[in-house]
Amino acid sequence: METKTSEEAEGASVEFEPSDIEYVSYGGEHHLPLIMRLVDQELSEPYSIFTYRYFVYLWPHLSFLAFHKGNCVGTVVCKMGEHRNTFRGYIAMLVVIKPYRGKGIATELVTRSIKVMMESGCEEVTLEAEVTNKGALALYGRLGFIRAKRLFRYYLNGVDAFRLKLLLPRPEINPALLMAANNDNSLLHDSNKPPEGSSQHY
Amino acid sequence: MAERGEGGDAPLPASIYSDEQTVWADVSPLLEAACRDLRDGELIHGENFSLFAAMSALEIMDPKMDSGIEHSGYHSIEEAIEDGAAPIPLSFDRTVDVQCTIDIMDHFLACEATWHKGHSLAQTVFSCIYLLRLDRTSPHALLHSYCRIMRATCAAVISVVSDARTHEGRVVRLCMGHYWCCMDFTTCVGLSFLNSMSLEEDLFTMAYGLPLKGEGDEKCLSMLNAVEETISRQLRACKASSSKKGILENIEPLQTNLDLEEGYCKALLCRLRFRKHFYHVLMCMKKPQGRGFELARKHIASCLSELAYIYNSLEFLGFNAYGSCQNDIEDSTTASGRQPVGFDASLNSRLAAPTPPRAIKILSWKKAIKYFEKLLHDLDTICSFSMDPLLEGILRFVVQFQKSQPDLVARAHLQRLLVQDGKLYGRDPVFDVICRAAAVSDVPKNSGIQKSEIVLQLGQLAINLLKILCTNAAWQRRKLGKILQDWSVIYVQLELASKRDFAETPNILTDVNVSMKLSKHLLIWTEEQIYWIASRFLMLGFELDLYSPTEYCMVYWYMYVVLIKLAEATQLRMGTSSDIAKRKGKKKRDLPKDLAKDSQIPPMVLLLQCYICLSEGLTMMLAALRNEHKIFQRPSAFNTEEERFIQHFELLQRAHVPGHISYMLFKESTSHAQFSTLVRYNYFKDAQRIAKELRSSFSSDSDRLVELRQIEQVAEHNWIALNVICQAGAEDPSLKISFEFSHHPCFAIATVKRS
Repeated sequence: METKTSEEAEGASVEFEPSDIEYVSYGGEHHLPLIMRLVDQELSEPYSIFTYRYFVYLWPHLSFLAFHKGNCVGTVVCKMGEHRNTFRGYIAMLVVIKPYRGKGIATELVTRSIKVMMESGCEEVTLEAEVTNKGALALYGRLGFIRAKRLFRYYLNGVDAFRLKLLLPRPEINPALLMAANNDNSLLHDSNKPPEGSSQHY
Repeated sequence: MAERGEGGDAPLPASIYSDEQTVWADVSPLLEAACRDLRDGELIHGENFSLFAAMSALEIMDPKMDSGIEHSGYHSIEEAIEDGAAPIPLSFDRTVDVQCTIDIMDHFLACEATWHKGHSLAQTVFSCIYLLRLDRTSPHALLHSYCRIMRATCAAVISVVSDARTHEGRVVRLCMGHYWCCMDFTTCVGLSFLNSMSLEEDLFTMAYGLPLKGEGDEKCLSMLNAVEETISRQLRACKASSSKKGILENIEPLQTNLDLEEGYCKALLCRLRFRKHFYHVLMCMKKPQGRGFELARKHIASCLSELAYIYNSLEFLGFNAYGSCQNDIEDSTTASGRQPVGFDASLNSRLAAPTPPRAIKILSWKKAIKYFEKLLHDLDTICSFSMDPLLEGILRFVVQFQKSQPDLVARAHLQRLLVQDGKLYGRDPVFDVICRAAAVSDVPKNSGIQKSEIVLQLGQLAINLLKILCTNAAWQRRKLGKILQDWSVIYVQLELASKRDFAETPNILTDVNVSMKLSKHLLIWTEEQIYWIASRFLMLGFELDLYSPTEYCMVYWYMYVVLIKLAEATQLRMGTSSDIAKRKGKKKRDLPKDLAKDSQIPPMVLLLQCYICLSEGLTMMLAALRNEHKIFQRPSAFNTEEERFIQHFELLQRAHVPGHISYMLFKESTSHAQFSTLVRYNYFKDAQRIAKELRSSFSSDSDRLVELRQIEQVAEHNWIALNVICQAGAEDPSLKISFEFSHHPCFAIATVKRS
């Protein structure tokens, strides 16, 4: 899947206070066109409406939207499930529109998703990013992701990808860290039990 | 929604006969009724229809998904031909006909390079309508012979890559797996390729439904030779007439514009000859055990010189191009800059499975020439390989070969040379190879040891290792990480077996001795391979850009630990082999001088010592920067450095390579690093000193001398950086320190700048 965001601002940016941005968990069908518009605009791969529904219907609590003055300016879409005996979270799409990049919105969106994944018992979180997507690589690097593998000509345009992985600490080993990450999660929903038999699609 | 066919208002029949069991039915009324029933946001659920399955649905008329929208307009090859998309002759003006034929040849070269670089055959070489209906071209001897050798060449290349296909991988993300099975909107079917994993060679060799083999292709060379002969005579005749020597033979010229005759003859000849020699290269390299390599090298040299002629024809062809050339030559797929006649990539899109049929960009003609130059140089390197019987030399050769990042076709050739019929070079049984590598001198005859389960497995592991080393770097690293466990398991088994053998056969002393020695040698050798694989695994991580600068410290530390183990195992193995050399040497009088100094450390081990020093030096410098300058460390929101350590070295740790290594140990060995102590005990100086001393040992080995020079440079730059940082002190905030790989792909040098 893809990520289109950069902490380096490109082009004309919009002036706003971080507190002006409102983060909302996926709230229903009325959010779907907003997510779709953003992803369609920014990412090259074709996703049908069913792709979005697959994610947001099964894991609504893992998807977030960022609003500025009522406009949706960023979104993150995720899933989680069993993968080779590991309960794994997966970040499928992450988009922040250009004028709003470089202000930490993407970091906040991903952070919220990962917190829910941690609460739900995920042991690790993965995603793919183009090797040339420096912004995304830096963002995920700051969160603790490592580049676990390089996927040779992964995208159909011939570009390699990195499989990024975040190993979450086991609570019994490092409880302080988990507690720190769990602070301020009033926005988060109850953890949903993941559906059985779901699998990664990459 | 279903669309009506092209008939416009004419109603479709209720059903169309398909075969005895089935009919095609128009489902539009059913879908319309279903649409009326469903509200916005409602979904159909079914046992065999989940949200996951729904993702493979297609949205018709969405240009991102529906490749049918950008269809060329032809429904079949026949339709394209009838419409004049691939005329024969290409023009009734013979000059234009020649020009167009050259364009086709050039575009073929670009297509072929694009195919080799990872696109499907169907969308590249076989986008040529002439090639898809080869028999049609028989009246046009020039085009026909060229198309035929193209087809035979593709088949030969596919055969090499198929032979080598066991391992090479490329995980292809097939977007969400949309694939047109049928272009007709009333009967569209979407197939899901979710979770698909396709190997690099699979995509390469995919040739479903393409006319790849045809009768008479074995005669492709003689056809080409005949055409070449005719054109060389035309060239001779043209030269003779222009020098007023009179006409030698009564030969009809190639085309009608006599001023251009020589230029066109030459442009064609180098293209034909390139094809001929390239085909010869493939055929020679196909011969078992490298028997055709010498001849192959001659053809490679010819190919390269013909490529140069082809490139030089650019000026002539570009200047004399008829019609307008809109293309910029840098992007053009032909030397003339024109679009070629007779190619249509969309005709084959139904055959392009399993990738969604998308438009691909064919490499430019100039890039294609560059690609073939590189391929030929890589093949030449393979052909000039001495076919070293020693595994150590082979591993070194393969690693060296991979440094130039050869593409799939070259790598497949190397793999086929190394492993044929489960034997090295198709010649040496693996057991013999291992015994040689492990310096086992006397294998007890009829001892059955060759057939023992463990030895067979060890042989299989060695073969797999060779194959893996021939794959692309990304796949290679993943596979190396995985096979480490197999090697570790076999090591433990060997260890157990040697103890058991000793316990069970106490009577026959000589046998015990021999078998004990064999076990000991195999054990040492296996251990050495394990650490060699581990070091390669770690180093490839740098080449693939998998480590961030904040992780360099732990990676160099792990590398240091692995390299020490590797050096120990190598020294042990060489110690045992020099025992043998000593014994053998005593029988002969002319004992080589350097064997006499067997108490010294072998050069190979000293070379490893250089890398150990560099690794340790970099570890400590990075650790001191973290401890005193508070840089190159990264606190992160969700985990600690320990988790990142576990992730990076998971595969090594799982295989106990080496045992008892933990994050705690890493912390213990680096948490006290300081610049003041680092300058006093300098690892970089040691590396530099040993590298200098080693020059005489490797004086006849140019690759090793380059390697030593690299080591010296890395050591020197880091030594200077270390001093600068040390003098500036930790308090100086204006120092900007970064690490670069300008002198070695794995060993960084610190660069210090003042901001």
